[in-house]
Amino acid sequence: MLELKTMPNAESVLDHQYLEMRWRALSLAADLDRIQRAAGGAEVIRDDPRMVKLRRVFELLLSDAHDRAEQVQMILSDATPWPE
Amino acid sequence: MKFIDPHIHCVSRTTDDYLFMARAGVVAVSEPAFWAGYDRSSAASFGDYFRHLLDIEPKRAAKYGIDHYSWLCINAKEAENVELSREVIKLIPPLLDHPRVLGIGEIGLNKNTRNEITVFEEQVEIAAKHNQLILIHTPHLEDKHKGTAIITSILKNDKRIRPERVLIDHCEEHTIRIARENGFWAGLTIYPVTKVTPTRGCDILEQFGPSMICVNSASDWGESSPSMLIDTALEFRRRGHTEAELAGVFYDNPCRFFGQSPKWKLKPTAGK
Repeated sequence: MLELKTMPNAESVLDHQYLEMRWRALSLAADLDRIQRAAGGAEVIRDDPRMVKLRRVFELLLSDAHDRAEQVQMILSDATPWPE
Repeated sequence: MKFIDPHIHCVSRTTDDYLFMARAGVVAVSEPAFWAGYDRSSAASFGDYFRHLLDIEPKRAAKYGIDHYSWLCINAKEAENVELSREVIKLIPPLLDHPRVLGIGEIGLNKNTRNEITVFEEQVEIAAKHNQLILIHTPHLEDKHKGTAIITSILKNDKRIRPERVLIDHCEEHTIRIARENGFWAGLTIYPVTKVTPTRGCDILEQFGPSMICVNSASDWGESSPSMLIDTALEFRRRGHTEAELAGVFYDNPCRFFGQSPKWKLKPTAGK
């Protein structure tokens, strides 16, 4: 059974990731602004089912949840029944 | 450092990609049968495609010192047409003894439809009947969790199928448990956009442990690259994992899964 021996500490992970996280947050903000500026933007931001799902995702990101990536995946997954 | 790319669609790549892989240390690849970038109009097209996979691509790879193996099937994207699929499936059994064929794949689901499930079950039947390894394609994006659950349910209900001879590919954070906890191998497919990135791939290796996981680049007709395998290894090394751990993930793991076929010649660098 393979096991990994090295796990970095949290501060060093944040040091490495922070600029990219900052860049991703700005990219998302600009994406939302671009949609908002387009014709019908306010309605799409508020009502489009994809945006409704993304709002749930953003709320999860702000929580203290563990396994955020897995939970985001489930929010964005098809939950309809299997075919007969 | 030597690498194996266990899932790459070389037919869609240029010779520059082969050169890149050779320079980066890739010594072997396995290429599942998949979509051609368009829906094919006849079984004869698949016959030509299989000849390309078995005879042409190994020669192209050998020019760069890369050992090339293949898998045969009709892929899930074209399996909606059951009649055509059945004509293609008939072409497969006579080719299974070819020295470059590792098994049946990549079979699975794309949009999780009834027709896709029918064709998937018929190809599992071929694999079981001919004692072949199986490489599974799971759907992408919102269809992945449901599709992976359906696929593994079908496989678990067939008592002829040994899970350790099946690799469930394109696993992500929400599906890797489904594969691993049922005894299957799991594949991580690393893309530059829209799917698992090198960073998230390493997160999954650290969170779930690297046993029975094969990392690949897919390198298909979409935005993708053979460099994704190498970039993931570089990120893994940057995080402080040892050269032995790198070899364990990026060379030994595929050797162990593929080594269940007597046709696969490379051996793991470390013991079990």
